[in-house]
Amino acid sequence: MDNLRQKAKELLESKTVNLVIGYENGTNGKARAVFITDPEKTGKLIYDERCKQNLAVYLNKHEVKHYGKIAIVAPLMVMRSILVLVSECQVKKENIVALGIGEDGSLLDFPSLEVVEKYVAKIPLGNPQSDQEILDKLNAMTMEQRRAFWQNELERCFKCYACRAACPMCYCLRCTVECNQPQWISAPAHPLGNLEWHMLRTMHLTGRCVSCGDCGRACPLNIPIHLLTMQQAEEAFHMFGVRAGTSMKAESALSTYKPDDKENFIL
Amino acid sequence: MEQFEPKLVAFVCNWCTYAGADLTGTSRIKYATNVRIIRFPCTGRIDFMLISKAFANGADGVIVSGCHPNDCHYTSGNFHARRRWMSFNAMLTFMGIDPDRIIFSWVSAAEGAKWADVVNQSVEQIRKLGPFTEYQKLVQSGIEEENFNG
Amino acid sequence: MSRIGVFVCHCGENISATVDVAKVAEEASKLPGVVHSVDYKYMCSDPGQTLVKEAIKEHNLTGVVVAACSPRMHEPTFRKACAQAGLNPYLSEMANVREHCSWVHEKSEQTTQKAFDVVRTMVSKASNNAALEPIKVPVTKRALVVGGGVAGIQAALDIANTGHKVILVERSPSIGGHMAQLSETFPTLDCSQCILTPRMVEVAQHPNITLYTHSEVESVDGFIGNFHVKIRKKARSLDEDLCTGCGLCTTKCPQKKIPSEFEQLLGTRPAIYTPFPQAVPNKPVIDRDNCTFYKTGKCKICEIVCPTKAIRFDQEDTILEVEIGAIVLATGFDVKHSDFFPEYGKGKYKDVIDGLQFERLASASGPTQGMIRRPSDGQIPKKIVFIACAGSRDPAKGIEYCSKICCMYTAKHAMLYKHKVHDGEAHVFYMDIRAGGKMYEEFVRRAIVEDHVNYTRGRVSTIYELDGKLIVKGADTLLGAQSVEIEADMVVLATAGVASEGSEDLAQKMHVSYDQHKFFAEAHPKLKPVETNTGGIFLAGACQTTRDIPDSVAMASGAAVKVAALFSSDLLTREPIVARVNRIPGPSHSTCVGCFLCQPVCPYQAIEREDIKDRAGNIIKSLARINEGLCQGCGTCVALCRSKSIDLLGYTDNQMHGEVLSVLEEAFV
Repeated sequence: MDNLRQKAKELLESKTVNLVIGYENGTNGKARAVFITDPEKTGKLIYDERCKQNLAVYLNKHEVKHYGKIAIVAPLMVMRSILVLVSECQVKKENIVALGIGEDGSLLDFPSLEVVEKYVAKIPLGNPQSDQEILDKLNAMTMEQRRAFWQNELERCFKCYACRAACPMCYCLRCTVECNQPQWISAPAHPLGNLEWHMLRTMHLTGRCVSCGDCGRACPLNIPIHLLTMQQAEEAFHMFGVRAGTSMKAESALSTYKPDDKENFIL
Repeated sequence: MEQFEPKLVAFVCNWCTYAGADLTGTSRIKYATNVRIIRFPCTGRIDFMLISKAFANGADGVIVSGCHPNDCHYTSGNFHARRRWMSFNAMLTFMGIDPDRIIFSWVSAAEGAKWADVVNQSVEQIRKLGPFTEYQKLVQSGIEEENFNG
Repeated sequence: MSRIGVFVCHCGENISATVDVAKVAEEASKLPGVVHSVDYKYMCSDPGQTLVKEAIKEHNLTGVVVAACSPRMHEPTFRKACAQAGLNPYLSEMANVREHCSWVHEKSEQTTQKAFDVVRTMVSKASNNAALEPIKVPVTKRALVVGGGVAGIQAALDIANTGHKVILVERSPSIGGHMAQLSETFPTLDCSQCILTPRMVEVAQHPNITLYTHSEVESVDGFIGNFHVKIRKKARSLDEDLCTGCGLCTTKCPQKKIPSEFEQLLGTRPAIYTPFPQAVPNKPVIDRDNCTFYKTGKCKICEIVCPTKAIRFDQEDTILEVEIGAIVLATGFDVKHSDFFPEYGKGKYKDVIDGLQFERLASASGPTQGMIRRPSDGQIPKKIVFIACAGSRDPAKGIEYCSKICCMYTAKHAMLYKHKVHDGEAHVFYMDIRAGGKMYEEFVRRAIVEDHVNYTRGRVSTIYELDGKLIVKGADTLLGAQSVEIEADMVVLATAGVASEGSEDLAQKMHVSYDQHKFFAEAHPKLKPVETNTGGIFLAGACQTTRDIPDSVAMASGAAVKVAALFSSDLLTREPIVARVNRIPGPSHSTCVGCFLCQPVCPYQAIEREDIKDRAGNIIKSLARINEGLCQGCGTCVALCRSKSIDLLGYTDNQMHGEVLSVLEEAFV
């Protein structure tokens, strides 16, 4: 933690970056995001197991971009989110300094995002174990049981779109749900509209989700919607052999193809 | 009891399957009347939301068909479409929505007979599954809720 | 509110036999937006079309739906009719009630219902239609031909003869390509240079052709009709205007022992050289890697002897920038060399040569003046083994395909050898003899019957040297795979033809796709063999796949016609079925967020980056922009775009969504 604070301080003092995004102690013993411009205030920075929020969500915000060069405390999910955002031209790689956090919580030295790519390539990627266990249980159910499960869960959604706001990849200026010419998604929060919205969100994150789980944590009704995108992340890996957030090249599962992609259900 | 006549919508590409279905016609091969064809330039153009819209509006089944791999008029539209379908299929399966409601196929402009087979098989398959009540119930409850709120 | 006219065709009885057309027309008249609905015997006939035209005027129609045959049949007919009546042709739609309905179903209520459903769907589409204008793109009437082999020469001459300007770029110092290296050509055995060199001269003298040899394409930007091309003219080290091509410099150059590329390394050349005596242009070039002056700083003999003082040691590469309307790629092929084959000595046996080397040995202007002499000791070989399919059709070597030309040239080689060495023995090992072509099979027959070439069906497993002989071990599969061993004096490998070096680079510069073997990919294997997927770029000759001279020439002429057609008008007119990125007022400018995931999806590289700048010139935002000259309208980007910022004219989201909704409406209204 001292290393992290020291490094952040150096970066701000040397004007290498103008802003540091990290975690600090919040209220009720929780960690929250902090935005630091004053090198003297880097002592606020913390990193521990409470720091779960995917800070990359801030990188694409107008108010943040305006600082130019930014350092960001980056555990694995943030690193991967940064790579996705760079590959999708949302942030410039020269503007980001990743204050990498290793699996043991130590500070990693990333002189450039290319080094982040190399680091990510060496780490086994996948869903958090607790989530994957739930996914395995769901996948073991019958189709009918899963339908009942999701119907029950999605019925409660009232379309507050907190999931969308929490996700670093949901950065569109106009989300398709706001499209009314044509009206792609039934507007009210009824079962059909909810299903359509979550299908849309899931498909749009297929091949782009880094399994941070922030959408699920953001949901005020605790609907486990993160399972939808996490399942798709695994599917994309099994079907196409690609994982989101491993490269800065513009290649996502659904914007690329291989002529010999397997096809087991096409007549 | 009168047998259930499912409603199917077919999303097809202009260059292969639409032309293949034309050939079914010119060859006078008969098939079930349950399918309505919608022409797209390419399978790559077919938005997955259109499939869900078809179900929401009363389709019991959807056929999606285009050029065989490597035969796409636009080189790679069908390859992109294939990844999209595979992902969509995986998602539906996970959400417990029966992916057998959607039939994906490759039908070339020369496969008039195959098109008739695809249609007939699909109609049979959907007939066995019965009306897509799970989905239509969602629509129904939505309408009721809207009426209630409105 | 739209005012749509519906016209239901009987098609004689083709439709009316199974569909109640009157009922369809009657029900259609009740659809919202429909102001006129009739049925008629033959809509495509003159009176039928007149019906449409009159209704457009009388009812002030804003859209037309013709329920008849497939749009693939008569869409252009009715679009034209609409245009003649003053209605934008893209406001007309066809409901396919023949191929997709009356012909595939029995007469029944359901068939009529389906026909009506189809009509209703198309009425919905028509009411969402927008008037579209064909896209007009200006055309620069100047062609670029890349590659100066026989295909490039033919294409350049054909285009130039239609009266258009052509720039021909060739990377070696002379045009002529592989054909210039050949001795004689199958199946007529006429001398290759005799038929080619007049064409080369014609290129040099043609008023419409500008020739840049020793030059390469540096970069290509733009799109069909409007390419911006940079050509790197490599330094020849002499002033081409002053050089008369007298050749004195080449005879006085002290470096004489440089292996000649043209002679396939069987002969030598000086450091200042023309590749061969009939080279076009007949102006030498200094090979700086081997020139004494460039290596040591001393010599300059060529400069001293040059009567016109044309030598320029300090010359640098120059970059020419040209505007081009169409490009023909004719970059040809290379052959694998003997060092590719470990089983045949991996290049260590001097007397195991490839087919092109044999061509030079057999050529009257070659290093042996046409005498067949083996490279190791200059002796005349008394026994030659020719091995066909060396590398070709061999998945283990990564070359699954048939190189197509080898069966023919192997027969020719064996024949030429027998003509020159009467007591010699020629053995050919082959897998199959593929001699499809006019007079080809007869030619091979002649080699076997008249010239007594021994053909053995089977592959050669190994070659090794023993006492000055090459021991060729193979099998005769027609004799139950009985092993065969021949003591040969020389072995000629008909090595596989492969994509020419640098094809991949060039394809990437041109944004042309290529296959797994790096041959350029045609737009359609059957119907568009000379087009590429990039509008305005065409293919000629062996750069698409190995092919012989007549095929290359034919393809070149085909490509030339495509170019001429493109140049036949000042404006290129294209169907307006193209994608478009939406634009809205600032500060957002578009709902596009510039993720550019659509870029790799586009098969035509039609998606560009557009930077929106403020008054001070700072980039506020980058948006995707569709180049309408390149977009072919597949719509794959449209379905991929998460924020629905791209739409496809003619198949808009609104139209497709509307169709899905209306196709599922309840039975008859």
